[in-house]
Amino acid sequence: MPLYEVEKSTIVLDIGTAYTKFGFTGEPVPRSIFRTQVKSKGQLRSLLDYQDSQDLYDMLVDFFHDIYFKYALNSPKDKPIVIVESLLCPIIFRESVAKVLFKHYGISSLLLLSSHLVSLATLAVETALVLDVGYKEAVCIPICYGLPMINAWQSLDLGSCSIHRNLQSLLYEKNSGAESLSEWILEDIKVRCCFVTKRSRAEQLSLSKPELGPCPEVKYPVEGNSILRVTGTIREKAYEILFDEDNDHLCLPTMILDALMKVNVDLRNQLAENILLIGGTTMAMGFKSRLKEELLHHMKEERYRKLNIKCFKFHASPSKENYTAWLGGAIYGATDWLNTKALTKDEYFEDNRLPDWSDLKYNTRRP
Amino acid sequence: MSAGFLDIDCVKYACTCGLLKTLQQLYFCRYCSELRCTFCVSHEVDSHFCGKCCENLPSAEARVKKNRCVNCFICPSCRQELSTRAASKQPANPEESKATKRTYYLSCLCCRWSSRDIGLPDQTAATGSWPKRESIHSNRIQEIVSMYKGLQEKEKLDKEFFKKKQKEKIISYTDKTGITAAALRKRIGLPEDKPILKPKNAVKIVTPSKADENIDDFDEEVLTKSINLLEITSIDQRLLQPDVQPKEISNIFPIQKILSIKRSLRCRRCEHNVSKPEYNPNSIKFKIQLFAYYHIPEVRIVTVEPLRAGQACELILKFTNPTQHQTTVSFLPFDSPIEVKEAIPEEGAISQEDSLEELDKSSLTPSKKKSSSGTKLMSLVDTHITLTTSRSSARALSPRSIAESINCTVDIPSSTFILPPRDDAAEYDDFNEVHNIQDDKKLVVWRKSNKAYIKLVVTPNEDMPIDTTVTTGFTMSHLYTNTIASVADNKKPQKFNHNMRVILKLGKSVGLN
Repeated sequence: MPLYEVEKSTIVLDIGTAYTKFGFTGEPVPRSIFRTQVKSKGQLRSLLDYQDSQDLYDMLVDFFHDIYFKYALNSPKDKPIVIVESLLCPIIFRESVAKVLFKHYGISSLLLLSSHLVSLATLAVETALVLDVGYKEAVCIPICYGLPMINAWQSLDLGSCSIHRNLQSLLYEKNSGAESLSEWILEDIKVRCCFVTKRSRAEQLSLSKPELGPCPEVKYPVEGNSILRVTGTIREKAYEILFDEDNDHLCLPTMILDALMKVNVDLRNQLAENILLIGGTTMAMGFKSRLKEELLHHMKEERYRKLNIKCFKFHASPSKENYTAWLGGAIYGATDWLNTKALTKDEYFEDNRLPDWSDLKYNTRRP
Repeated sequence: MSAGFLDIDCVKYACTCGLLKTLQQLYFCRYCSELRCTFCVSHEVDSHFCGKCCENLPSAEARVKKNRCVNCFICPSCRQELSTRAASKQPANPEESKATKRTYYLSCLCCRWSSRDIGLPDQTAATGSWPKRESIHSNRIQEIVSMYKGLQEKEKLDKEFFKKKQKEKIISYTDKTGITAAALRKRIGLPEDKPILKPKNAVKIVTPSKADENIDDFDEEVLTKSINLLEITSIDQRLLQPDVQPKEISNIFPIQKILSIKRSLRCRRCEHNVSKPEYNPNSIKFKIQLFAYYHIPEVRIVTVEPLRAGQACELILKFTNPTQHQTTVSFLPFDSPIEVKEAIPEEGAISQEDSLEELDKSSLTPSKKKSSSGTKLMSLVDTHITLTTSRSSARALSPRSIAESINCTVDIPSSTFILPPRDDAAEYDDFNEVHNIQDDKKLVVWRKSNKAYIKLVVTPNEDMPIDTTVTTGFTMSHLYTNTIASVADNKKPQKFNHNMRVILKLGKSVGLN
């Protein structure tokens, strides 16, 4: 690659609740993926555990300091940056990010991209239903011809966090002392031992006396002095929380169906045949096939009879699911958008605010 | 951050930005004569180097190499640095050549992982020959990127074409008079006007991704085969290689070490460096180092009487003058205002006034005119104001209030004391200690060379429960001699009083005896 081309590459960030994806525009893979954590006042804290805006500001300063001087090795001043964010990102978080970047680090422009929308760029399609299952929540937004259908969005607090809670309670039944396991050990158990089982097995497991042989048990060593028994049932049931209907009869598959119910009749089939799964949680073994099984099962229910969908098709992006949104940002950031659509320093300082789609001041059609 | 035994955080100084830091953590900008800390200076990347082999790379080269060292690797299993080990291999046929061939492999001295574990063949050269891996999707993504780039280019051209077309619609004056523009052009001798062509669509459209109905991501084997945890990677090991994210330990691959940097720190106000390291990665020296430790008198707690709520007790502090100039120190109450030099330069202030005048004018304009374009006019004025102010104050970070509550009062002495300049030779001279300084005996207990021991009386608050940390503070004002101006203009060194807040943690309060 010639030198001048490299010169132009810009930082792309996808700040997730659990992991931050960092890389440069135009590159196919993020440079590094690391935990969204900051060392503040002597202890590691998650960036999203902030107490107030001042606390968040201080943590973000440290966070971006690490990004610029540990990973990017670049001075931030007068350089653009691309950040991929969820449409449902808290306003205080967005505003603080902009404040830190513009005021503290003096960047020249900030391009904020919606994670669901840009994920489609990796596929080169315009219409798809994007389901993002991350750490804290699962968000489903249909995108039709490059426009997110905000009226049809669905979200549930299902994600890694709820799986970890479920796993913890399951472990607690079999092992004493499991209640004090740290989040990272739980995550490690989940990643290395657990998987999403088939629907037929899950039904059996939910009975009081399942008529099937459980899968082999795993003995998981904790901190070198004790051993956790991760039984076969636990391994299979950890992910079940995603597919169990809650009191409102909602779960991961119904989110997709509910979103389909809310869009135009003509688009429903097209969206069902273009489903894109993003977010690290969807990388679990068996997740996609189970989701398809569940979708077909729920289609038989009375409430979804109207849908009249015969098959569901899933896209495979040229990336791992946990950085698909980042890759979308890297593709967008490599184009001219970085110059034309980004929020520049002068625009930001005009009223010290970030344009927001939910704010009518910015989101009205101008004559 | 910690500077060892000197860095005990009983005594903290308030930085200009409002954060509390120990003296060792602070910088002193000689040009603004203000305290600065790592939070309120701007950091810049000075030079790139590899932390293992200390190789220095120019920043452009570092960028091309993706900020990674070519020769050094870290362990994909435990992130420690891998060392290159040499192995001698006997040739298969001893008669062929007598010399043993040296081969090299990578090995982790921490977790015993080695490049042989994953079946990576040994290399004949010690450095630079390890195979590199490319993402399998990079071609496809490159295609997509160039498609989007092309689409946007086309959109831009289309817009321009539309604009030109709009222009054409306007009938020119010459057309009305019977002379067409084309005829006129011919007569003047200009080349013939080319009709505007619609830009061609030359974007290569990538075949969109095809969704698949059949998904097979469930492995039946998992139900019957027991797993060995040692063969499965942890999530940290997976994320070290974002492109592959291997599930089995046999697929991990040595990772090139990320480069480190040297940083220079710059004052945000005057843009002078407060710290600049030497370029050579082996050198730990600085080209510029404006540490507060060399400029500001150091305060240390010597003794403190037992602290009882509501009772006055004696506190002895040691003051040390680190500079080559004599200074006078006086005390002010903690919450006495400290004048911070105006961040707004004078030009900015004037233009702001101008814009305010403009605002007045606009409000004086007849209401009729205002109703038609009033909003627009106002918004223009608005932006003008914000632009002028934003250049200075809005973009600067405003200092925050000090996040420490004072629960103990200090009787502020009215007298001042002198601290003689630092004299390195005086350290070795025990006998020739002559002071010609008239001290207030109530204030100064004892003094030696550039140090003075000061007695203060502090009173913890009445309602303080036992075993609470007693925090007190005062504003220290000392005469600072600035030598910067004298060097530049051949003038006498400037002297002025520099004020800063000092916060002392005196320890826990005790009960009545």
